[in-house]
Amino acid sequence: MPWNDNANPGPWGQPPGGDGDGPQRRPQGGGRGPRRPGQDFDRLISRLREMLGGPGGGVQPGVIAAALGAAFGLWALSGIYLVQPNEQAVITTFGAYTGFAGPGVNYHLPAPIQRAEKVKVTYLNRTDVGGDAAAAAAAASTGANSTGGDAAESLMLTGDEQIIDLDFSVTWRINDPAKFLFAVRDPDEAVKAVAESAMREVVGKTPLQPIISTGRGLVQQQTAELMQKTLDSWGAGISVVEVQIRSAGPPSEVVAAFREVNNAQQDADSAVNEANTYFNRVVNEAKGDAARITQDSEAYRSRAELEAKGEAARFNQLYAEYRRAPAVTRDRLYVETMQRVLQSSNKVVIDAKGATAPIILPPDVFRPRNAPAAAAPAPQPAPAQPAAKAQP
Amino acid sequence: MNGRVLFLAIAAIAVLVTAWQTFFIVDQRQQAIIVTLGKPVRVINPPGRSEAGLHMKVPFTQNVIKLDRRNISLNAQQEEIIGAKQERLVVDAFVRYRITDPLLFYRTLGDERLAEDRIERLVSSSLRQVLGTATQEDIISGRRAELMRLAKVDVAKRAVDSRMGITIIDLRMRRVDLPATNRESVFNRMRTSRQQVAAQLRAVGEQQKREKIAEADKEVTVTLANAREQAGTTIGQGDALRTRIFAQSFGKDPSFAVFFRSLQAYDASLGDGNTTLVLSPDSAFFKYFEHGPSGGGRK
Repeated sequence: MPWNDNANPGPWGQPPGGDGDGPQRRPQGGGRGPRRPGQDFDRLISRLREMLGGPGGGVQPGVIAAALGAAFGLWALSGIYLVQPNEQAVITTFGAYTGFAGPGVNYHLPAPIQRAEKVKVTYLNRTDVGGDAAAAAAAASTGANSTGGDAAESLMLTGDEQIIDLDFSVTWRINDPAKFLFAVRDPDEAVKAVAESAMREVVGKTPLQPIISTGRGLVQQQTAELMQKTLDSWGAGISVVEVQIRSAGPPSEVVAAFREVNNAQQDADSAVNEANTYFNRVVNEAKGDAARITQDSEAYRSRAELEAKGEAARFNQLYAEYRRAPAVTRDRLYVETMQRVLQSSNKVVIDAKGATAPIILPPDVFRPRNAPAAAAPAPQPAPAQPAAKAQP
Repeated sequence: MNGRVLFLAIAAIAVLVTAWQTFFIVDQRQQAIIVTLGKPVRVINPPGRSEAGLHMKVPFTQNVIKLDRRNISLNAQQEEIIGAKQERLVVDAFVRYRITDPLLFYRTLGDERLAEDRIERLVSSSLRQVLGTATQEDIISGRRAELMRLAKVDVAKRAVDSRMGITIIDLRMRRVDLPATNRESVFNRMRTSRQQVAAQLRAVGEQQKREKIAEADKEVTVTLANAREQAGTTIGQGDALRTRIFAQSFGKDPSFAVFFRSLQAYDASLGDGNTTLVLSPDSAFFKYFEHGPSGGGRK
């Protein structure tokens, strides 16, 4: 097949340079071969004739052989290829899958016979559903409350027939390069379609509240499992590493109502806190008051006891003496007491014997003696009646 | 010389063209049909056989038609489905299929575009049939996986019946949504439900607050009452002690005790200077005042 190309390096005047890209052209060489010479047939013939018919015609076959050999060598060398550490190469022979090659320098038979397709097996691919993650991050950093995504992809129905706004990303890698290349057409699109379908299936079974709070991990896990199951059933050669929910929340239309619930919770908490504050205050105050009542009563008891003891002691002392001279002591005590009482009192002594009419006493008499009587006369003399002052 | 070169060139071209017409490569991803003057005669590398590689055919009279051998995706058009209770749902589904009988496929459909058209119609009618008997709740959550499986089985059966040479690998609903017009009512329901929760939270908070305050007030009353009870006991003890002490000591001579105590009481109650006494000279105190040193003998 390559005879055609190698037959005429001469006409272009630079045999070594022309060979440099010979191997690359070879795959198409077979296809173009029959047509090109046909089109340029006359020119080709004339040039061939020029060259071959020129001086020193005897050495021409040697030149042709050398050029052919060099071209063949280069062609053979074109099978050398390098596989990076994160790659694996899938070798096909005439289109049929015949094996793998690991990282390093490798060789395959040159181009039309064998080919190597390199696949990044350790690379973690990322598929975003519900908008681009980078765009969402940019939107978030500028403070916009946007999920940065396509509403049709983000909004989904939950198990309790509410609508959630959910964006997520799937991380996946190729675990079987041959299957990945040969089993499924457009694997990237397939991953996205399966991701969306699986996530919506899982979300459809889960009520809204857990998804936006504690159940997120479970949703991610179930989605990953479902995706893996589906992809495996297709033999896609893809392994789902992780499903990550980037954002999950109520749609913007109802965000206010959801915030209101948070506010209500805060209000309820603060109401309870207030009540606790009140409780602590009044109960402790009451405990203090109770202590006062108790202490007061104990004080009263002590006082009552001690005073009684004191008075009893006084009485006992007195009584001991009284028994020696009862009559005298009695009279003395009486008179002494009366003296003390009358000494400090207003006194009116009336001999009412034989009085026929009620005796009217002037009101001044009843004015307290040591009251600060502004308009009252000196209280000492009893004005209306003869008064007797008890003198000690 | 010239004639020889010309001959060589022509021969080379002839060989090349013949080789080009004879050999062909069937890729791992492809299957091929050999067609002799428009009539399919042979299949190479169909699913289930591993025949990728270099192949030969009769040059010039035979053609090669290459078809995809892989699992092919097809996104069905969005469908508005009416469920068992007349609920409307918008369903996005996709199908994965494979050309498993290339001859049949070539005869009935010819190419993928036509196939997609046909499959889409099958999917649409299967979805309508399967989902039409299910309620919205079943479609969204309860029986989603099962319904997908039923629809898949149904489409697969129809595909076999219509002899298109394809096999349905999978059918999955990508999205099941409410039509835009129904969405607002869901939002309304969500809003009112949240408002209900908010009101409930507030009410419970208020309830707890009042309960706590009532408890506090009760605690205060009980604490004070307990204290008073104890205080009463203590005060009673004090009174009892006092009574006992007085009884012990005054009991030695009750009449003197009363006399003594009365004198103390006069002292305490009348001795403050604010009392005006209206006395009769007949009183015992004035015995001598009225009757002189003899005391009148009216003792």
